[in-house]
Amino acid sequence: MLLAHAITLAEARSYVAALADLARTFDASVEYERVLLQLDWIHDDEFPGLDTTGLTDDRVVLYAVADAAIEELADHGVDALQVELVLDMLDAARAKDVP
Amino acid sequence: MYGENGGLLRTELATLLRQHRIQQRLGGPGTHTVPESTTAEERKALGEQIGRYRHAVLIWCLQAVRAANPRINLEGTTGRSRRPAEELRYRLTAAIEASAAGLPPLEELTTGQDFRTIESWRQAARAAALGEHDFDAGLGYGRLSNAECMTVLKDAAEITRGLVALDRRYARITGWERLKDQGRLGRAAEGCAVFAGDDDPDYTVDRLGWRPSPTTMDGPAMPGLLGVLQSQHNLLILLTKLPTARNLRLVLDSQRVLSHEASLGVRNFAPELADKWQARSGTYTALVRESRDLGGHLGTGGLAASEGANALGRLQRLPRAAVDVTKPLRHLDRLFARVDDRVGDIIEHGANERLYFLRLRLPRVVDQSEGLIKPVRERYVPIASAVQTDLLAIVHTQLRPPPTPRPAPPVDAAQSRSDLHEAVVHRPEGRGGPSISI
Repeated sequence: MLLAHAITLAEARSYVAALADLARTFDASVEYERVLLQLDWIHDDEFPGLDTTGLTDDRVVLYAVADAAIEELADHGVDALQVELVLDMLDAARAKDVP
Repeated sequence: MYGENGGLLRTELATLLRQHRIQQRLGGPGTHTVPESTTAEERKALGEQIGRYRHAVLIWCLQAVRAANPRINLEGTTGRSRRPAEELRYRLTAAIEASAAGLPPLEELTTGQDFRTIESWRQAARAAALGEHDFDAGLGYGRLSNAECMTVLKDAAEITRGLVALDRRYARITGWERLKDQGRLGRAAEGCAVFAGDDDPDYTVDRLGWRPSPTTMDGPAMPGLLGVLQSQHNLLILLTKLPTARNLRLVLDSQRVLSHEASLGVRNFAPELADKWQARSGTYTALVRESRDLGGHLGTGGLAASEGANALGRLQRLPRAAVDVTKPLRHLDRLFARVDDRVGDIIEHGANERLYFLRLRLPRVVDQSEGLIKPVRERYVPIASAVQTDLLAIVHTQLRPPPTPRPAPPVDAAQSRSDLHEAVVHRPEGRGGPSISI
């Protein structure tokens, strides 16, 4: 894993973790955590740590940057199908994030 | 288990102690109504067989006394310097060393016998042979409280008294080998029984000892809530092996959702249980959050993660009303507590043995490497290092279930012992004689 890939992955993980922390429903939080697990599984448990400190608490913004970061993973050699599956899981999680 | 083997031993000895006219019970002469069915030679062989069974019981007694009182070297001691337990141990050792009977072979232990007396001896010897495993499986000295030691000691003393009484009664069997210093052994056993009986007995010792290790419940999913219990039970068994960090995270996730769903299911008719499970779900939520950066490739745990997912899937398929059953809910609660305990053990073990690591938050480039492309340096630190996580704190303060009270002793623990005691000291009706059964 190269530095650019690691930074993108760290960003994606951090944004998804922040979304899980800020989720308004239990189900959405669980789904966001599963997105995180799926990201880690794709990378065979070789991934940088995440950091949610200092991130915005606006879920719309967080979703947008998480979506962009995950999509960018395809540019670093991650299988495009896996990236699409993760994006679909992220979308499903957002659908449940309604109180 | 000590209670099962000790109970069987006492029951069979009590049965034997209630039997008189032993020659007739071995097919010998003595009554006009029942013809003689064995020859003197056959009765001698039966007596030798009983001697071998008795040898096994004597060895059990010695091991029980050793477990309760481990004074190692009794060489050079005298009757005056030995205390009751040591005196019994000394006399038992002397009796075993002097005995030429030897242990019964496996065929004699496993083959049913025609005569009921011999069959009772066989059952007693079998219980003694099985009971030997208990002393190495949680019943050794140092693991027992003083009251438990005294209970084991009293059991051994009472059984020895029974053996001495039977030894006197069997003396007329042709070729019967008497116990060495039978009178001294009997007095030592009697003194030890009185000494150990001074304090209140602790029959919870019956719950200790060897027991078969639990196995997974394979096969198709059971219907309803039983299917959830089946998966949760399997998860508990499979968690005996260390899971990888990723599989541990999957297990934590499944337990979090399982507790939440179960809490919702019982909210209407068991609010206290619902609150408890909701709190558990909160604990697992915190654990899931703290384990996001957990790493560690050692271990397995794939099957455990699957069982966690199975339990969740089965619970989610249940209609809410179908969970209104008290007994399975109690079992589920108990399984939750045991899984919590196990997960706590795993995280602590993984942290202490440095099997799980925390990823540092910012990777660095390895700038000394050859080539144009510089790879990212992976850095891991032990969980217990200065880079701390709340993972261990949550395990210590929230996950650990409160210590369970010690299990109650079996209901028939006292009855079994009093039956043997009565059989040892009983006096046949209408006959005078000594206090001990002869």
